[in-house]
Amino acid sequence: MALQILIQGFVLSGLYALIAVGFTMIFSVGRVLNLAYGVYIMLGGYIYYAALQEAGLPVFASFILAILAGVTFGLLTYLLLVRRLEDNPIAVEISTLILAVVMQALIVVIFGAAPKTMWPVIRGVLRFEGISVTMNILLATGVSWVVLGSLMAFVRYTHLGRAIRAVSMDRKGAVISGIEPSFISMVTWALSGAFGAIAGVFFATFTQLDSHMWVFPLIISVAVVIVGGIGSIVGSLIAAHIIGFVETITTTIIAAELRGVSTMLLIILVLLIRPKGLFGRAEL
Amino acid sequence: MSIDRETMRYLGWWLAFGVLMCLLPLVVGTGTLRILIFAHFLAMFAMSWDFLSGRTGYISFGHPFLIGIAGYTTAILSFRFGVPIYYSIPAAVVATIVGGTLFFLPALRIRGTYFALVTLAFMEILYQLTKVVAPKITGGTRGMSGLESIVSGAVNNYYMSFGIMFVIGVVLWLLIRTRLGVALSAIRMNEEAVRSTGHSTTKLKLFAFSVSAAVSGVGGAFYVHYIGSIAPRGMFEINFLFTILVAALLGGAETIIGPIMGAYFLTVLLEYLRPVMPGMERYLLYGGIALVLYVVRPAGIYSLIADAGRKVQEWRR
Repeated sequence: MALQILIQGFVLSGLYALIAVGFTMIFSVGRVLNLAYGVYIMLGGYIYYAALQEAGLPVFASFILAILAGVTFGLLTYLLLVRRLEDNPIAVEISTLILAVVMQALIVVIFGAAPKTMWPVIRGVLRFEGISVTMNILLATGVSWVVLGSLMAFVRYTHLGRAIRAVSMDRKGAVISGIEPSFISMVTWALSGAFGAIAGVFFATFTQLDSHMWVFPLIISVAVVIVGGIGSIVGSLIAAHIIGFVETITTTIIAAELRGVSTMLLIILVLLIRPKGLFGRAEL
Repeated sequence: MSIDRETMRYLGWWLAFGVLMCLLPLVVGTGTLRILIFAHFLAMFAMSWDFLSGRTGYISFGHPFLIGIAGYTTAILSFRFGVPIYYSIPAAVVATIVGGTLFFLPALRIRGTYFALVTLAFMEILYQLTKVVAPKITGGTRGMSGLESIVSGAVNNYYMSFGIMFVIGVVLWLLIRTRLGVALSAIRMNEEAVRSTGHSTTKLKLFAFSVSAAVSGVGGAFYVHYIGSIAPRGMFEINFLFTILVAALLGGAETIIGPIMGAYFLTVLLEYLRPVMPGMERYLLYGGIALVLYVVRPAGIYSLIADAGRKVQEWRR
């Protein structure tokens, strides 16, 4: 039991960290909550599905297409919507929620309302001491670690990455040192779309494709931001693990139906007790 | 509150609106009336949202939570325990006000974007719980159907729903014109400033939350008895929240009249698009309209009409 919780907890948390990272980035740089973030995940899943299972493209090409779709949509959200409302976080929140419902309708119009099953990215099951884990979800965890690691290296060691960090720490200061914040915002939104799409492919193979699938990843992302505090990568990694483990423990020990409830209660509790998040404010 | 000339003029408009809507069943068929009944319920929910979020600036993403408490309370009491609806509906309203207080607790500590998310979390929790906890009483995923109706026939339901909406509308509208209403708006603009004038923002907020919850409670309880069924899906759904939000925003938040107009506009638009666009395309269209209008004209349809009215007056001078 303990081993099962440990393995499932780590695997699930890895997936959650991957889901949340794109959302956290935008919050950290722009201080806005992008409620259309779940759409990037849904879009990633659907484009991958269409390319691989309907058009018959190879896995790698399908992945690239999914990422491109995420990047495009991320940029469009920023340029057409968020940039016009940027001084008002509540307006951004409301308008991105409306956008998400519009995109949900668009997905139904294009792909139909019936859920679709996706092939796993890689096949096979790993058995260990009577516990079985699919290779697919292990790959998702691996990808999650690689993505988060490279993102951390990117924001620490590259010029562009350091500029992103500078904007997230102090916008005015960044402008004074010659950084163009609107360009940095565009880079962040594009990256966020890409991360969302990658996470979406794995999330969709983990569950299934349907037009409501954007809600759950969004809630996970929101929970990570709230539990972890304002957008540090390490903070959100820890938060993803807290959420993943709380969920695994609840579902294995108490009842499987309470999957979403534990995360919600965690959000409410943390907001009530420590509104700034468990790890307080930190830069990217 | 002194009744000045402007208030009198507006009250005249309300009266004209009431008379017009009361005469409507003489002209139009029952099909149209049934559409308008839905508009009335949507208007109640949108006004409730507006009184809380449009006034105080505490954006609620959890109004289906309040409406759901009302709906489930009256449904369970009347359907499972045989309580007459004369008692179950008031009980539902009281339960919703209690739920609204629960809603209010996070508002003591957080505001802005986080508050909206907590209310969303409340809604999701109730969605999960109604499915899992005591399915024998709540009906689980399938919910309950065959609930007792209050009056029968389209015309009677039309008058009932319109009457409730009209009374709520006038009361809320008068309320926001008092000093209390001004204080609530001031909370949206600068909460610290209100506190520094010696007013208790906690009391003011509690008042706004209770009134909003009571309106949702009345609307929700009558609504489930009108449609005769209740289920977690459909009630605690983001699409339902979306409809309420869009009705309020489209019409024009902070005005009480705006949400009523938004509700009529939305319901009638949706209904007339049904033959052309049977499914989700309608959400696509009106979501698109709402989005464009929100970005271009955040104050909504009401402000467009008010501007036009002002232009006409200037032109006549």
